[in-house]
Amino acid sequence: MLLSILIYGLINSIILALTAIGFSLTFGISGVANFAYGGFYILSGFLVWMLLNYLRFPLLLAIALTIGVVGLLGFITYWIILLRVRGIALSEVIATFALGVGILELFRYLGFVTYEFTLPYLKKGMILIAGVPVDYQRLYIIGIGLALVLFLYFFTHHTRIGLSFRGIAQNERTAISLGIRSDWTAALSLAFGCAMGALAAIVILPLGIISINTGYEVLLIAVAVGIVGGLESVSGILIASLILGYTQVFTGTYLKPEWMMVVYLAAIVIVLTIKPSGLFGKFKELEERV
Amino acid sequence: MKRKNLFIILLVSLCFMVNPYIASAQLKPGDPIVIGVPTALGSIEGRDGWMAIQMAVEEINAKGGVQVGPNKHLLKAYAIDTREHEPGIPVHDALTAAEKLILERKPHAIALGNFRSEVLLSTMDLISKYRLPYICSIAMTPLMQKKVTEEYDKYKYIFRNCLNAPYLSMYLGGVMGFIRKEFGFNRAYIITQDVLWAKGTGAGLEKWYKENGWEVLAFDTYATGASDFSPSLIKVRAQKAQVIVPIFDMPQSGILLKQARAMQIPALIAGFISPIACENAWKVFEGEVEGMINMIYEVGPIPVKAVPKSVAFNENYGRRWGEKARTELSGHGPGPSYDSIYILASAFERAKTVEPEAVVKALEQTDMHGAIGRIRFGKDHQVIFGFDPKETAVGVGFQWKKPGQRVVVFPEGFAEAKIDLPPYMKK
Repeated sequence: MLLSILIYGLINSIILALTAIGFSLTFGISGVANFAYGGFYILSGFLVWMLLNYLRFPLLLAIALTIGVVGLLGFITYWIILLRVRGIALSEVIATFALGVGILELFRYLGFVTYEFTLPYLKKGMILIAGVPVDYQRLYIIGIGLALVLFLYFFTHHTRIGLSFRGIAQNERTAISLGIRSDWTAALSLAFGCAMGALAAIVILPLGIISINTGYEVLLIAVAVGIVGGLESVSGILIASLILGYTQVFTGTYLKPEWMMVVYLAAIVIVLTIKPSGLFGKFKELEERV
Repeated sequence: MKRKNLFIILLVSLCFMVNPYIASAQLKPGDPIVIGVPTALGSIEGRDGWMAIQMAVEEINAKGGVQVGPNKHLLKAYAIDTREHEPGIPVHDALTAAEKLILERKPHAIALGNFRSEVLLSTMDLISKYRLPYICSIAMTPLMQKKVTEEYDKYKYIFRNCLNAPYLSMYLGGVMGFIRKEFGFNRAYIITQDVLWAKGTGAGLEKWYKENGWEVLAFDTYATGASDFSPSLIKVRAQKAQVIVPIFDMPQSGILLKQARAMQIPALIAGFISPIACENAWKVFEGEVEGMINMIYEVGPIPVKAVPKSVAFNENYGRRWGEKARTELSGHGPGPSYDSIYILASAFERAKTVEPEAVVKALEQTDMHGAIGRIRFGKDHQVIFGFDPKETAVGVGFQWKKPGQRVVVFPEGFAEAKIDLPPYMKK
């Protein structure tokens, strides 16, 4: 049983990291709030489903198209919605949260609410890892999750755009004085974040169904992982995902499954009380000391 | 004179305040009889129930309507979405939606009604306030019957014609008895949704297991909306459970089967998973439902020859709403929702009025055959379920078998085949 817990705890942790990474990129690294993240996540799932079932697209084409379209929608969202409230954190949160709710509730209104909305596995079948059966979809999740975390690290530390993201997040005025175009960087961060959310949705949703409520849950997960790990820290996201993922599996296995959701909320409260910048966050350290 | 007029106005106003419904309790020639349907239209049970109600209304109207006293009256049904099946929707919101429907449409009776038992219990006071005959066709808590019995004068308007949690436990107990007889299994693992009816059913079944020599390894509950069941499945494997007993109505619950297959859990799954009860579930879940024993709470969505009206209902539903909609019929709600309109129509005719007290009396004397079998209410206003459709309403247990068929395996009286072990359990 312990081996099963270790393996499924790891899978659960990677799912959390994958879920949170797009949100973290946008909010933590470039400082732009995208509380429509859950909406874009579910939009991605339904978009792939519609391309597969209404237009009969091949799976890979549907996936590529969806990631591109959702990324583009993120980009447009910045210029149409966020540009007007840029820099006013609370307004950014309200505007994007309203957009996310709008997307989710539109699908509910259109009747996308039953069990029929499922995405196919990338590959069917399973293997035994130390006697514990694990299906290929979960292995894909592990692979893609780790690849994205690595990509994000190299992207933000070794590419021009990635460095400009971090520059804007650390001090926007200084970054602008050094020639970084603030609005373009912010719009790109939103596009990247949304595209990563779309990729996460496409590999994670086949394990369940595409449910409107998952959109709200995804936002909670992303916020919880970000707060626990530190919003701007890639390694923080990974460590926080491992902590939350294993805590959840242990809670479900040894306590009660209905308490699994409480783990996120408890983690948010505890970390905000003890170390508001998160386990690996640095932004607020000075303020905390003061 | 002025004082007298003022007194009369006050008296009439008082009447309206004491009984806000009195104005529409009378029917004039040509007036329609209005049926209100406040329910969770986004759930498959609510959606299908509402479609079944519209079909029944159309059938009755096609024959000229309902004879109430000297006149025939057409039926009109209006629905409102209470969204009560969604996680996070407060009971109060569902109540507000129901009251909005009552105040705007002024119905003479309520059909289908609440989805969540928690909401039903609160709605009972609302129904009592407006004195509306109410037939519930989804929510399953036995506490409804307790309230009707204990405070009859207050809650006498509330009836239920669908299965309730104790009857579901009775059917599941029968299925488990069968499984034990056939395969010698005696180790069960119960997994339910964290809602009143599901936990009530699980508790009833747990009691049955203990009384019948089974070992209940665990009783896990999952929040509505949860979609990761791996913590329980890990324990099922470790504790060597032979039967997993899921009891769920949320759309996400179908995924339990996929996860169990992915984790190669060597246990028979027998219980109720709402999305797996529909005829199209084999296709939707790509055959991974094979071997599962599921329940159809009330016949109708599955045609049973011993209940001729269930066959007619199934065929007519397909003609009215299309073959796709027929294959999506949920296993709980459509049959009773359809019958509820005929039950109400019959009660209006026998009472010769739409006046609530008289209609309640007529409803209590109901004795008719419908899509769910024979319909008679007990003293607690719950339709009596059993195993013989000539005597009671019936539900069935079925098993998913290749090439994607729901084969009735319980009750014995009209079982079409025996229970088989699923391929992954055959040595």
